Amino acid sequence: MFQTRSEYDRGVNTFSPEGRLFQVEYAIEAIKLGSTAIAIKTREGVVLAVEKRATSPLMDASSLEKIAEIDAHVGCAVSGLTADAWTMVEHGRAECQNHYFTYNEPMPVLSCTTSLCELAMSFAGEGEKRMSRPFGVALLVAGKDEDGYHLVHTDPSGTAVQYKAKAIGSGSEGAQTALQEEYRDDLTLKEAETLALKTLKAVMEEKVNTTNVDMARVAPAYVKYSDAAIQEIIDRL
Amino acid sequence: MNGPTLDFSFLDATARGSMASKHVDESLDAIDGNMHECNFKAPAVEDFEGFQREVINYVKPNHGTTTLAFIFEHGIVVAVDSRASQGPYISSQTVKKVIEINPFLLGTMAGGAADCQFWQRNLGIQCRLHELENGKRITVRAASKLLANTLYSYKGKGLSMGTMVAGWDLNGPGLYYVDSEGTRLKGQRFSVGSGSLFAYGVLDQGYKWDLTVEEACELGRRAIYHATFRDAFSGGTVSVYHVGANGWTKVTGDDVGELHFSYYPATPVDDVDAHCGGEGKKEAEARAATEASAMET
Repeated sequence: MFQTRSEYDRGVNTFSPEGRLFQVEYAIEAIKLGSTAIAIKTREGVVLAVEKRATSPLMDASSLEKIAEIDAHVGCAVSGLTADAWTMVEHGRAECQNHYFTYNEPMPVLSCTTSLCELAMSFAGEGEKRMSRPFGVALLVAGKDEDGYHLVHTDPSGTAVQYKAKAIGSGSEGAQTALQEEYRDDLTLKEAETLALKTLKAVMEEKVNTTNVDMARVAPAYVKYSDAAIQEIIDRL
Repeated sequence: MNGPTLDFSFLDATARGSMASKHVDESLDAIDGNMHECNFKAPAVEDFEGFQREVINYVKPNHGTTTLAFIFEHGIVVAVDSRASQGPYISSQTVKKVIEINPFLLGTMAGGAADCQFWQRNLGIQCRLHELENGKRITVRAASKLLANTLYSYKGKGLSMGTMVAGWDLNGPGLYYVDSEGTRLKGQRFSVGSGSLFAYGVLDQGYKWDLTVEEACELGRRAIYHATFRDAFSGGTVSVYHVGANGWTKVTGDDVGELHFSYYPATPVDDVDAHCGGEGKKEAEARAATEASAMET
């Protein structure tokens, strides 16, 4: 098996006889090494929660940014290679501003994720803008537009899928099962905050505190939670 | 129009035919050489720069304008008129000459309306991206420099803008004048446009650092009104904005026709004697009579 694989896993644009693109699959695997990120959509808004893993006690956890604002109505949580994530976030920000400049209206969330996926696919393109490898990052994009709230998961293959609740990263398997059991269509934003942090707590090795988790919501505008607000949710658990 | 009349001979089929085609090609090459960034064909005239300088007068609307802004103890007041003209023709009385770049930044419009609108919206993008990347609002100093750098990169390409960037940042109020020549000046008090000299007269005379917000707005409004009275290319309504620590607010928008009744400075002279004595009275009556007859004819 490994023998046959090595013939086809070098070029990013070569299918194996079984119809697989190994480099893309490896990139998707890279995300499973990343820290856990969870997003839950409700009728009142979308909640994002991420784990911040400081590998050393000397590391300043505040420099680990895994939640970003793309525009006032769009935010995202990331898992995987965070450096790749910033390339995508900056692209998303520029696209949102260009859309507003051209049409004088906020960019629809699905247009924004489409443009992010186009960037994710740039390893398959040609010319100056070609990326030599797939991006090793998955995004949970949360946003509000005229069609309501959206939660979209994008991965290195450039696939975008809408979710009600989604977990990515190292603890994603356990977290996704937990979300599937606990999710209801009539969750309030407050319940979603609690569920997100409770799920995150279950898959984290460390004890949850304000330095090792980050949270944000889009309801209807992007807001990052302060330490005090996160502490308040921790106390609720 | 001043200056020599435009040379449209290149449009003339016979002239083009009789002209040595080599000559036309050469001039086209020369133009293509330094205009490679533009994706439209430049006109095949001998003196391209002269042609451009002259033709710009025909297509640039909103040349007549009065805008002003000044810093005082309680922030910044920005006041503008709303008239757009194309030569002697008044093309609009309802132009929005204050451009709201973001909740803390205002730009004013003088020169080409489209140039101001487009490049200040472009500035809005740059400011927002700066805000997202750095997690804090851009300073007025940086924002005005972004605009000045953009305009300088288009220097000589025909942009026409005279704008003031006013806003509030962590250093307090900030006011800059930026124009399409690439000039950028920091200052306490600016007025831009054809009516700016009239506005400066009122503004400089009435300005004090410790004006209240109401007094400052009144000063701005009065200065613009007097400019609209004396400058034919300024008019419409006077819009007044105030910029404070919590961002800008629009204070008033008044029709200059209505302001006229409260501001018009010349009161009719009832008692001529008090001013010129008995001799003067006769003279004044005689003058009034001739004026009346002149008006009838």
